[in-house]
Amino acid sequence: MSDIRNSWLRNATIGMSFLLTFFIIVLLLLIVTKPSFETLYTSITSPEIQFAIFMSLGTSIISTILCILIAVPAAYALARYSFFGKGAVNAILDMPLALPPLVAGLGLLLFFGTTGFGNALADMGLVFVFTPLGIIAAQFFVNFPYMLRIMRSTFESISTRYEFVAKTLGCTDLQAVWRVTLPMAGSGFFAASVITWAKGIGEFGAALLIAGAIQWKTETLPIALFLNMSCGNLNMAISAATILIIICIVSLYIFERYGGASRL
Amino acid sequence: MLHTENLSKDMGEFILRNVTLDITPGEYLVIIGPTGAGKTILLETIAGFYPPDSGKIIMDGRDITNIPPKDRNICMVYQDYMLFPHLTVEENIGFGLKTRKKDPEYIRKKTVEMARLLSIDHLLHRKPETLSGGEQQRAAIARSLVMEPNLLLLDEPLSALDGQTRDKLRTELRRIHDITNVTVVHITHNFEEVFSLADRVAIMNKGEIVQIGNPDEVFRKPESEFIASFTGMENIFKGSCSHQDGISAIKIDGHIVYSATCLGEREVYATIRPEDILLSKDPIVSSARNSFKGRITDIKNNGMVIKVTIDVGIPVVSIMTRRGWDELQMNEGEEVYLTFKASAVHVF
Repeated sequence: MSDIRNSWLRNATIGMSFLLTFFIIVLLLLIVTKPSFETLYTSITSPEIQFAIFMSLGTSIISTILCILIAVPAAYALARYSFFGKGAVNAILDMPLALPPLVAGLGLLLFFGTTGFGNALADMGLVFVFTPLGIIAAQFFVNFPYMLRIMRSTFESISTRYEFVAKTLGCTDLQAVWRVTLPMAGSGFFAASVITWAKGIGEFGAALLIAGAIQWKTETLPIALFLNMSCGNLNMAISAATILIIICIVSLYIFERYGGASRL
Repeated sequence: MLHTENLSKDMGEFILRNVTLDITPGEYLVIIGPTGAGKTILLETIAGFYPPDSGKIIMDGRDITNIPPKDRNICMVYQDYMLFPHLTVEENIGFGLKTRKKDPEYIRKKTVEMARLLSIDHLLHRKPETLSGGEQQRAAIARSLVMEPNLLLLDEPLSALDGQTRDKLRTELRRIHDITNVTVVHITHNFEEVFSLADRVAIMNKGEIVQIGNPDEVFRKPESEFIASFTGMENIFKGSCSHQDGISAIKIDGHIVYSATCLGEREVYATIRPEDILLSKDPIVSSARNSFKGRITDIKNNGMVIKVTIDVGIPVVSIMTRRGWDELQMNEGEEVYLTFKASAVHVF
């Protein structure tokens, strides 16, 4: 006999969600508890990992700023205006989310390495192939859709009428956006920046193809993890992984805590 | 003051068709119409949020059709307030003056002055979200008025408020208009707002202004079937109110109608719902204060109810149920007695 106090569907599905949660926690604990605390500390403070932290922070902060400068205006246009080809633009701009990062990296490598435009940039001293600049380009390309999507939905949630009113109170179009819409989009903007930055720190595939995995040169935390793993240096690899895990947890917390209504 | 000439705009869902409108300085114009009539889009086009497809907008002799909203000095208040949530009430009210780069001392002075006029000076430090609907709308009105606009546009400013707050703010709007003499265009679908606020009323339908004039004239002499059925108001009478023996008497074309409510000694509109008027062959002895004798001029049978028009010197409409009418057994041209209570006479 079935009993409404004891639905098997409820129990089975809740059980499934707990199983998944448990699985994730086990994996994370396995990584961080593998080496002793002292070994972990020594590895994290080693010059190579310090370099990787520095490289990761630098590239991810710059790529996040680029995403803000380019994706926020684009998101505004997609939220506010209707124009020819908007549907196609929307669909294509989401593409990097689904595209395997290695494919994106290959495209970037061909763009900066073989085209006239890439060569012209190289002649001006902006070399992207096998340099930290390449890492920034990879992070930007793979992660701007996060910034774009969150900001687009944030702008869409703010009624155009706020800007209308601001304009009747003497604002130009730009002032209305600057003094009203952007402050109102604050929490969405903050959440989008944190997610874009965290994704940038973890970017591996696209960066691997365009910037290579060169120790002491294009060695970010994921690259350090990969390089040390391939030459059996488990403790160093785990120390890089641990830092990535911490960044992931903190940024996810910030996103959920301060992200407000923003959704990916 | 403001003149629109054959203004047209097609926004798909909403449309504006050849709207020609003349607004005189200091007047309070109320535009009323069903949902989707294009009322909001008319205001938004006048404010300059989008260019019209054709037509012209002239303000004080100057063609402003294509100049940006910021240079028009036309302010807008929406139904849902649109206060900037990241700013305090004071910063909201001072927003426009700050944009005009006025000095902070002056902004502060003007803001407080305006807040006092709208009785929200005790709320200046608060964020909009902590205010009640009525308070938020007062703040939004203050934010517009402080700009000393050439024209103030109100888009259903009272529709989001509950009954009592609405009545209060409506009276307030009248008072503020009397004090500031600002030219107002007010959109609504509420008839009371027309009668208590409007110098003139315009009726809008399907993107067009179908009739414009003073409220009495428009409601008494609708120019089309649509207006008649849209206004749908029977028994609207203009008269002067005075107190007699603790009850108010309204003098309408020489006839006295008694009402339980009165707003002081002045010109008022009185309405009586047709179903509140009782018809009888002989005079009825009852506590009802109003009793008239008249002649039936028209009988309309629409199945469910019978609508009877009686001339008692002024035309009065009564609605009866089919059974009530059958019992009465009367025909056009016959004499009939009308009875209704003082509490059935609504005054505004």
